[in-house]
Amino acid sequence: MVDEDEIIRVAKLMKIDLEDHGEHVSRVKKMLEYFDILDQIDLSSEEITSQQKSLNELRKDEFIPYDKKLIESLKNFREHYVRAPKMN
Amino acid sequence: MNLNTSILKYIEDVKSGSFTVEEFTAATLQRIKDVDEAVHAYLSLNDSAINDAKKIDQKISSGEKIGQCYGFPISIKDNICITGTKTTCASKILENFIAPYTSTVVNHLQNEDAVITGKTNLDEFAMGLTTEFSAYGPTKNPWNLDYVPGGSSGGSAASVAANECLASLGSDTGGSVRNPASFCSVVGLKPTYGLISRYGLISYANSIEQIGPMTKTVKDSAFLLNIIAGQDANDDTTIDNDNANYLENIENGIEGKKIGIIKEMTTSDGLSSEVSAATKDAINDFESLGASCEEVTLPTIPYTVAAYYTITSTEAGSNLARYDNIRYGYEMDSEGYEYNSYISKSRTRFGPEVTRRIILGGFVPSAGHAGKYFLKALKVKSKLISEINSAFEKFDYLIAPTAPVQPFRFGEKIDDPVTLMLLDYNTVTANLTGKPAISVPYRISNGLPIGMQIMANSLQEKSLFQAAYALETKTKLPEVPL
Repeated sequence: MVDEDEIIRVAKLMKIDLEDHGEHVSRVKKMLEYFDILDQIDLSSEEITSQQKSLNELRKDEFIPYDKKLIESLKNFREHYVRAPKMN
Repeated sequence: MNLNTSILKYIEDVKSGSFTVEEFTAATLQRIKDVDEAVHAYLSLNDSAINDAKKIDQKISSGEKIGQCYGFPISIKDNICITGTKTTCASKILENFIAPYTSTVVNHLQNEDAVITGKTNLDEFAMGLTTEFSAYGPTKNPWNLDYVPGGSSGGSAASVAANECLASLGSDTGGSVRNPASFCSVVGLKPTYGLISRYGLISYANSIEQIGPMTKTVKDSAFLLNIIAGQDANDDTTIDNDNANYLENIENGIEGKKIGIIKEMTTSDGLSSEVSAATKDAINDFESLGASCEEVTLPTIPYTVAAYYTITSTEAGSNLARYDNIRYGYEMDSEGYEYNSYISKSRTRFGPEVTRRIILGGFVPSAGHAGKYFLKALKVKSKLISEINSAFEKFDYLIAPTAPVQPFRFGEKIDDPVTLMLLDYNTVTANLTGKPAISVPYRISNGLPIGMQIMANSLQEKSLFQAAYALETKTKLPEVPL
């Protein structure tokens, strides 16, 4: 059984301000309860597989000139710094 | 001017001088003006569409080299970037975001002289199956405006079905091209993972999502894939397709081919009687085309929806962490906020479904829970890949209805998250395994569409189109009543 306080704690870590706790938490809980179906399948002999690429298949690590100053499309910057709220 | 035409017929007509690109573009824009207030397929329009069309006409009249598209009008899902235009992902958090670069797919289209009509509606950040989660209001199904168009590429599908363009590009993470294609009676392709560049597609779940064409005909889908597929230095997950010509031999037929009917998808509890009946008829059609059909079981399928939502939420939680309202976002004074509380407060602009997926995406891979959810989901994915690879040793194609049900009324399923998730039941397998799958319009039953899904092995799109085309020749569908 999933603990609702745990969902609220994770939401906070994900920087989600739960203004309407009830609705989101109960729906997330319902979804997680559905995921319990994963307990019913035998995966004991299963390995996690992933696709791999070797370094020589990757794009060369080269500087590609860009004709615009991307920072200027940000809403809040000074010189070449992004402005952010103060940290405590 | 008949706007209910295919890309290939349009190109013939422009070449023969039946109409100019400008005339067709103007008629398309007029159509958008006439019907889009009701359909709401578009979030924004390309103001320079007529000028773009004029330039292509000039190229044609001056004998200059002209791109393969001859100015046919195409809409683009609003999670695909075009320089200097708004790309909102149907989210309030990107309400004013102007893309600083153009996606590879749109570059290909523009290089081949397509005319972009505008950006289409979607479920916010492509998370949903009805477009009801768009922050700018839902798109309506052109077959019946009281019904959902499917999603998340619902605006794209509706724009094609309502003759507001000849084709569209959508994106498919768990069925987001095929589901609305099925609901709106258009052709929707989810290609092999890596066949189409994702550069410029705003990320949701990178490991499984793909851009896909949405068209009126199977041949148009192949034509469009010819233009947008191929390796891209800006997306290292792309694969070499040897410049395949997907239109070549498309009429070859499927005589002697072996088709597996996926048992879990054709006998599931959620399957409606209309969809079930249509599937039986489609199987008869495939047999009459000379293919042999046999039931095949893929026992992992009942676990795929849970695995899919676990994996995609995890990736979404990570991808959407960038929306902190510092680098992107809207005006919100930081006065009175500490760094973290500012970000949390600004993120309340995410809609409800995106918020839930972010929470899930934090929960399922977290230290205490990864073993129960995320790692299991990855193993389900591996098991499913083994099963489907074995099936493709025996069969050329695997088929099932694209969606277990027909379009439904707005609000009908939005309150039940599990029912909503299960709408993906027949489509997520292609995403989790990276296999190509296409939805072909098959029937209009009680005024609402039903699509059939055909899956093939990796990079077998040419063969996939042959089967899809063969099935298409067996159908005779009415025109959209709009």
